[in-house]
Amino acid sequence: MLEPVMFTGGVYKHDLVIELVEDLGGYLLQKNITQSEVILLMLIPREDMQIMEDMTKALMGKLDRAPLAGTETAVVTPTLAIHHLPHPACDVAEYLRRHGSKSNMIGMARGVGRDIAQMTGYETALINEHDAVVFTFGNFKKCILKKEHLYRNIEIPVIITGGPDMEQGDLPYAAEYVSNIGRIAHRSRKATEIESLDNIVDAVGRSLDMTREEIAKDPLTTIPPRAMEVIREQVPDINQSYAPLPITLNLKGLRIKLPYDQYQEAVKAVTFDEGVTLGEIAKVMPSRMKNYILVRISPTSVTGFVV
Amino acid sequence: MEMKPLEVFEIEVLDEEYGGNKYKEIIADILQDLGLIRSIGKLYVYADMESAFFAVFGLIRGKLPPLRVRDVGDLIQAEGGYQIVVEDEEHMSDLLKVLWETYGRDKVEQPDRVVLTIESSTSPEDLVVADLETEFRRDLVDALIRIAPEGFRNRRNIMKKDHFFFLAAEETIDPALIAEVEEKFRSMQNA
Repeated sequence: MLEPVMFTGGVYKHDLVIELVEDLGGYLLQKNITQSEVILLMLIPREDMQIMEDMTKALMGKLDRAPLAGTETAVVTPTLAIHHLPHPACDVAEYLRRHGSKSNMIGMARGVGRDIAQMTGYETALINEHDAVVFTFGNFKKCILKKEHLYRNIEIPVIITGGPDMEQGDLPYAAEYVSNIGRIAHRSRKATEIESLDNIVDAVGRSLDMTREEIAKDPLTTIPPRAMEVIREQVPDINQSYAPLPITLNLKGLRIKLPYDQYQEAVKAVTFDEGVTLGEIAKVMPSRMKNYILVRISPTSVTGFVV
Repeated sequence: MEMKPLEVFEIEVLDEEYGGNKYKEIIADILQDLGLIRSIGKLYVYADMESAFFAVFGLIRGKLPPLRVRDVGDLIQAEGGYQIVVEDEEHMSDLLKVLWETYGRDKVEQPDRVVLTIESSTSPEDLVVADLETEFRRDLVDALIRIAPEGFRNRRNIMKKDHFFFLAAEETIDPALIAEVEEKFRSMQNA
């Protein structure tokens, strides 16, 4: 069982951590260097956690559990206008990022208003490429209830945030509702506001756990981090990608930030040690996000084997 | 009648007590951000999410005098002209513009970030740097558009010397709605 963790420490000797991850059979998901600090998101075998903790101590770093690591969350606002941004949508996105998730902000083209709010098929499809979605709604109960049609067709867990207290039963199409985080015009800094952000992270975590449980019933042919490692080795051009996270992990696959037309063959031909190619065990298709490549790994029930 | 800054601030949103209280915070935040609180005396907000409209009525505290050169810094008469040590840098660009227009670019110099020298025998003391009243009204309209829910895109905006009326709705604004809102504001003021 792999445990998602986040290492925060100095740049000096952080290579030792990366080497240790490889030695333990874990995976490095993301590496962020900000001046003299480095943040590493990793998956480590649970039984070897003590070894990593000792190493962290020796390097005077910090090791935290990052329950959202290896997932991608969409934060959706009705539009990108000053009414909805930067507060509180950026606070939510930033908070999810701090807990290990890759968060993408999506502003709808025509999401405003009570009666006139609309969602296009493209927006729905784009959101469906994520693992969970947070809709940031406002302070009026009637509007939140009315906007249900925006997320009714979404297949991934939907977390709604809004101001007023509401019963879960009022929003049957949402996985969870988090109150006390409606429209605000200042940065979240009060204890109650931070607590609401924590509630969102908890709600996203619970929804992702449900998806994980669902996947566990019919496991994927291979885990996405392993596919990522092999792609990194066999499609070296990915290292030239300027995207912040050239290979983004999802629970059921990954997104490769290279042009689809040019690289789809190379990605399909990626071969595992067992001799199977990625094209045989996964669907490789164009992503709705730019012209990236979306990979969805087939479950064992489809392929009949595990690599 | 002299009013204190925002001495009355009432908000009523039909059947949405939480939303009303929250909007009070949002309005205060936005007015604070744009520096408008001191210029508004009374503010009444009335909204209904069922018929989807949002209305604001406010009384403006007195007229703002135009900002003159003597208001933005210290004016000293120096050899061959005048020197201005600017205290409020916010209007620096306006100040330079008006000085250039009046004396010509070659007569105005800026030896230091906050110091301006003018080569002239006429005092710039009374030159108007900025029309604060126009600026205030422009910022006020901006604030009202920011405050109202974004989807309410049909707007009616009346700016008078001492008061303003703003109505934003999702559907077409008809005279009956305006009459209803005006009646509501009258009763809020008399309460």
